[in-house]
Amino acid sequence: MRKPKPLQKVRRYLITALILAIFCFPLYWAIINSIKTPLDTFAGSWIPFLQFKPTVANWTEELGNWETRRALSNSAIVSVCSTGIVLCIGTLAAFSLASFKFHKMKNQDITIWFLSQRVMPPVVFIVPFFMLMRSLKLIDTLYALILINVTFTLPFAVIIMQESFRGIPTELTDAALVDGASYGQIFYKIALPLASGGLIAVGIICLAMVWNEFIFALSLSYDQATLMPVLIAGAEHTRGVQFWYVAVRVLLTISLPMIIALFVQRYLVRGLTLGAVKG
Amino acid sequence: MKKNQIKFAFLLPAVVWVLAFTIFPLIYSVRLSFFSYRLGRGETFVGGRNFVQAFTYPRFWGSLQTTFSIVLVAVGIEILLGLLFAWHFNREVQGDKVFRTLITLPLFATPVAVGYLGITLFYETSGPINMILSLFNIHVPWLSHPFWAKVSVILLDVWIWTPFCFLVFLAGFHTISEEIYEAAYMDTNSELQIFRHITLPLLLPVMGIVIALRLVEAFKVFDVPYSLLLGGPGTSTEVYPLLVYRTALKNFDFGSASALSLILLAIVMCIVIIFFRQLRKVYE
Repeated sequence: MRKPKPLQKVRRYLITALILAIFCFPLYWAIINSIKTPLDTFAGSWIPFLQFKPTVANWTEELGNWETRRALSNSAIVSVCSTGIVLCIGTLAAFSLASFKFHKMKNQDITIWFLSQRVMPPVVFIVPFFMLMRSLKLIDTLYALILINVTFTLPFAVIIMQESFRGIPTELTDAALVDGASYGQIFYKIALPLASGGLIAVGIICLAMVWNEFIFALSLSYDQATLMPVLIAGAEHTRGVQFWYVAVRVLLTISLPMIIALFVQRYLVRGLTLGAVKG
Repeated sequence: MKKNQIKFAFLLPAVVWVLAFTIFPLIYSVRLSFFSYRLGRGETFVGGRNFVQAFTYPRFWGSLQTTFSIVLVAVGIEILLGLLFAWHFNREVQGDKVFRTLITLPLFATPVAVGYLGITLFYETSGPINMILSLFNIHVPWLSHPFWAKVSVILLDVWIWTPFCFLVFLAGFHTISEEIYEAAYMDTNSELQIFRHITLPLLLPVMGIVIALRLVEAFKVFDVPYSLLLGGPGTSTEVYPLLVYRTALKNFDFGSASALSLILLAIVMCIVIIFFRQLRKVYE
């Protein structure tokens, strides 16, 4: 491609800086709101130290709150357990779809079926899940949330992992078969290590999806099993929206998926388009 | 074990799990949609009354309209911006990675949290946006006016999803080979013409996928309208999933809620079928 002239280059950098500034501003605003005193949050000041004196009082108070700590640990438990189950079951299915041919229902149709599960709006399931969990006496437990989150992230894992496994040359698995390895050994000793990059990426994206999930957490928990997103949503009911605490909770919730997202750049496009676009 | 047993043994856990937790709930929903069922009051068979009620319910049409207007405008803006950003960054090499990484952050932000962040950003008396606008003597009632409330929801959706469109379009740009551009530069010097006649047509398949995925995703919009304004002021930002949620878990009218869910499912299925052929081709 042709080289841009210096002036064009400067213009490019300026536009880039502008885009970044606009897109990062909401995060900046949350951060400075979280270090303001309640009065300052309504004054609308922009620059710490210059316009207002920053304080860590909101953070210490929020982190000292047992409700927040419980919600954080609940969210962590649900995300990690769901992701673990999804990776175990999902990689097995993906390996099977990638290395064997199915006849009655073709591989491609099974993939599309998994895909169609991703497409369904979750709100469709809140009534039946509520009834199901009520009859199993699982309402307001972490088990219910794990069960449901696995159901909705599993198809994603199967679709993406399948592609990672496809990338493994068949010569390798054939050679192992000749040497007398069982399919279990091939999966465990050859396929998984070779697809570990994809596995980590899928794990991270699943973790973020479960962590961010809101509608089921809202409809299936009210006290014991409150997750972070539900905790934020309950913030306003007591005394109007308290900007300073909300900012802390928002940051506590947002930071985990955002930080881990920094590590999955390579598989992001493929993951987000459910494998339809190779990035 | 034989090859045939192995392949099913590996595949079945996932299939059974997903089937068990989607098909049975769906069957249950279909059955429930023909009953009048309120929690604690038992059920009575009412035939198609729940559906008739839904179609004659002004809020049903209102929420559909809200959903469509928010979805179409938001997706339109996201695709346009994503395309512009991708075009802008297609050439740049230095600093490209940092930018890409930073701009993907909103995608992973918890949507509910974004809604609450929105409350502080759009805060009318001394929020940052209105403070900037007040320099030009403009005051926008972001959260109290039905029209502007919709705009707020759209803006937050744009903030979350533009990075997605950007990333996918950028990946699409990278699949177009350099030679095509070099040949094109022989004929013309206008960047706009090259974009119009070369980049855009070659990008169409990717764009189809983006539109399909965004449309389907858009019918899941719940978190942001819920957390920003709970569907208010009035019902101006009450999107369809929010209506279903309210019918089910605020009014505990499970029969009507099931009917509403099934109508939503039908709409989404229509979209999927329209794009099905393309999708199938992609996974071959």
